[in-house]
Amino acid sequence: MTTAAEFTGVTQAYGDTVAVDNLNLQIEQGKLTTLLGPSGCGKTTTLRMLAGYITPSAGTITINGADATRLPPEKRNLGMVFQSYALFPHLTVADNVGFGLKLRKVPATKRRELVMANLDLVGLAHLADRKPKALSGGQQQRVALARAIAISPSLLLLDEPLSNLDARLRVQMRSEIRRIQGETGLTVVLVTHDQEEALEMSDTMVVMRAGKVMQTGAPATVFTAPANRFVADFLGYENFLTQSDGSLLTVRPEHLRVAAAGVVPTTPGLTVAAVVRESVYRGVDHIVTMTATDATGTPITLVSTTRRDTLTADAGFQPGDLVTAQARDHEIVRLTSEN
Amino acid sequence: MKGRPILGTLAVLGYIIMIVPILFVVSTAFTAGDALTFPPQGVSLRWFGEALAYQPFVGALLSSLQLAVVSTALALLLGVPVTLAIQRGKIPGKSLVEGLFLSPLVVPELVVGLALYQQIMIGLHQTSFVALLVGHTVLLLPYAVRVTGASLALADPAVEEAARGLGATPLRTFFSVTLPLLRPGIFSAGLLSFVTSFNNVPLSLLLQSRQFRTLPVTMLDYVQQSYDPMIAAMSTLILAGTVVIAIVAEKTLGFAKIFGGINK
Repeated sequence: MTTAAEFTGVTQAYGDTVAVDNLNLQIEQGKLTTLLGPSGCGKTTTLRMLAGYITPSAGTITINGADATRLPPEKRNLGMVFQSYALFPHLTVADNVGFGLKLRKVPATKRRELVMANLDLVGLAHLADRKPKALSGGQQQRVALARAIAISPSLLLLDEPLSNLDARLRVQMRSEIRRIQGETGLTVVLVTHDQEEALEMSDTMVVMRAGKVMQTGAPATVFTAPANRFVADFLGYENFLTQSDGSLLTVRPEHLRVAAAGVVPTTPGLTVAAVVRESVYRGVDHIVTMTATDATGTPITLVSTTRRDTLTADAGFQPGDLVTAQARDHEIVRLTSEN
Repeated sequence: MKGRPILGTLAVLGYIIMIVPILFVVSTAFTAGDALTFPPQGVSLRWFGEALAYQPFVGALLSSLQLAVVSTALALLLGVPVTLAIQRGKIPGKSLVEGLFLSPLVVPELVVGLALYQQIMIGLHQTSFVALLVGHTVLLLPYAVRVTGASLALADPAVEEAARGLGATPLRTFFSVTLPLLRPGIFSAGLLSFVTSFNNVPLSLLLQSRQFRTLPVTMLDYVQQSYDPMIAAMSTLILAGTVVIAIVAEKTLGFAKIFGGINK
C-alpha cells in the first residue's frame, strides 16, 4: 500500500489534558479512512494536526513522505471541509470555489472552467453566482466540498461534514461523498462520531478513545471482530459476559434470543438463565431487558432485540418471567482485552 | 405592546421625555423674533443664516470635524489590531488586556484631560490640537475595540482557517477574508466614534485654546454670554447632521446590526 500521510509517535497536550497520546497511524493513498470515536477522543485534534491548524507537542507527521509536522496550513495543499462549512460569506459560490485557484495564480478563463467543473461534480453549477447565505445547509456543504476539491489537494479532510444536515440528507450525502471520492480518486480522511456513517463510508476505520487508537481495520472486520470492550460497546454490542477463565464474550442484542426457562437450544452455543426486567414494543423490533449473573457471579444486564416479523407467538414475556438467553456459537465474539 | 399596558406606557413616556425638549429647540430655531422663547414668534430661517455667518461657529465646526475624523481614524487604526489580538491571538490574560482597552469608559474624562494638559501641553509644549487628538483617540478606543470585537466574535474562525488551508498566507487571509468580514463592524465603530468625538465636552473644554476650540465648547461659551435663537438654529443644524448619519447607517447596515453588538 502507498501511504499518503503518516503519524509517528504524535502527542498533542493542552496543559494537563492529553488530546492525542502517542499516535501512530498510516493513511492509505486513494482510500477513505474514518476517524471514529465519541467526543473528546482526539479525532478532530488528529485531523487538525494533519491540516496544520495545530502543531503536535511531540512526534512527526509526514505527507507524501515529506515531513510536514511544522508546515503551516497554506503550504500543505490539503482540502478541508469544516463542520460549519466556513464558506466566505462575502464571495459568490464561484469565487468561493475559485479562491484557492486564484491564490495558485490560475488564469481567469482556466479558473472559471475548473470552478464550473467542480461545481458540476457536486451538482451546483446553476448556483455559481449566488452568495452562500442564499443556499440551504446541504448546498453550502456541497460548495465547501467543491472548494476543497478544486485545488486538487493531496488529501481531502472532512471534519464531521454531515453532522449539521438533517437525517435524510445525511444518508444521501454519504453515498455522494463516496461517489466523488471514486470519481476523483482522492485520499479522504473523515472524522465522525457516527458509527453507521463510518461503517457505510470507510475503506479503513480507526476507532479512537481518549487520544489513543483502539482498533484499525476494514468496517467488516472491526464490526464482526471488535478488538476490545470499548470498540464493541461503541459499535452496538450490548451483552458482555465474563467467563470463569476471565475472558470476555460479547453478543449483539439482535443475536441474543429469549426462550422460556428450561428450553434447550438446538444448536451449540451460550445459554444463560435470566429474569425479564422489561419488555418493550418498538415498532420494527421488540426489546427485552433481562437481569442475569455471569460466570464470576457479577450481576449483569442482558438485552435482546427481536424483529417483529420473526417473533414467535410465545415471545410475550412479562417482567419477572424466568427465561434463558441464548446465542449460537458463530454469533459470540470473544474479546481479547477488557479495554 | 399589546397586552403589556405598563411597559407600553413607559415606552411612550420615555419617547416623550427624549423628544419633547428637542421639539422645543427645533421650533424656536425657526422663530422670526429676537428672543429664545416658546412658542416662537412667526417663522423664518433668519437665525440659520446668522448661525452660518457667525465666524466662531463656522471655525469651531471645522475644528470639530477635523478632530473627529482624525481621532476616529487613529482609534480604528489602533483598535482593530487590538481587537484581532484579543479575539484571535494567543495572548495570556486576554480579559485583562480587553479590560485595559475598555477602561477609558470608566476613568473620569476630567482626570484624563488634566493628565494630558500637564504632560502634553505643559510638559511637551504641544498644541491643544495634539492634546485633544490624543485625548479623543483614547476616549474612542473602547468603541473601536468593542464594536469591531463584537462583529469579529460573531464571525466563524473556521472561515479564516479555510482561507489558510486553501493556500493563503496569514497576511493574505487578513486582507481577503478577515477585513471584509469586519467591514460592517469597522463602519459602525467609526460612526459611533465620530459622533462621540464630535459631541464631547469635558475633554474639549479642558484642552481648548484660543487657536483650537470645538463646536460644543464654543456653543457653551456663547450661551453663557448671549441667549438668542442662533444657538437653537446651530443645535438644529447639528441635529440634522446626526439624523443624516443615522439614516446613512440605517440604509447601509441597519441599526440593530450597529448597536446590537455593543452590549454583547
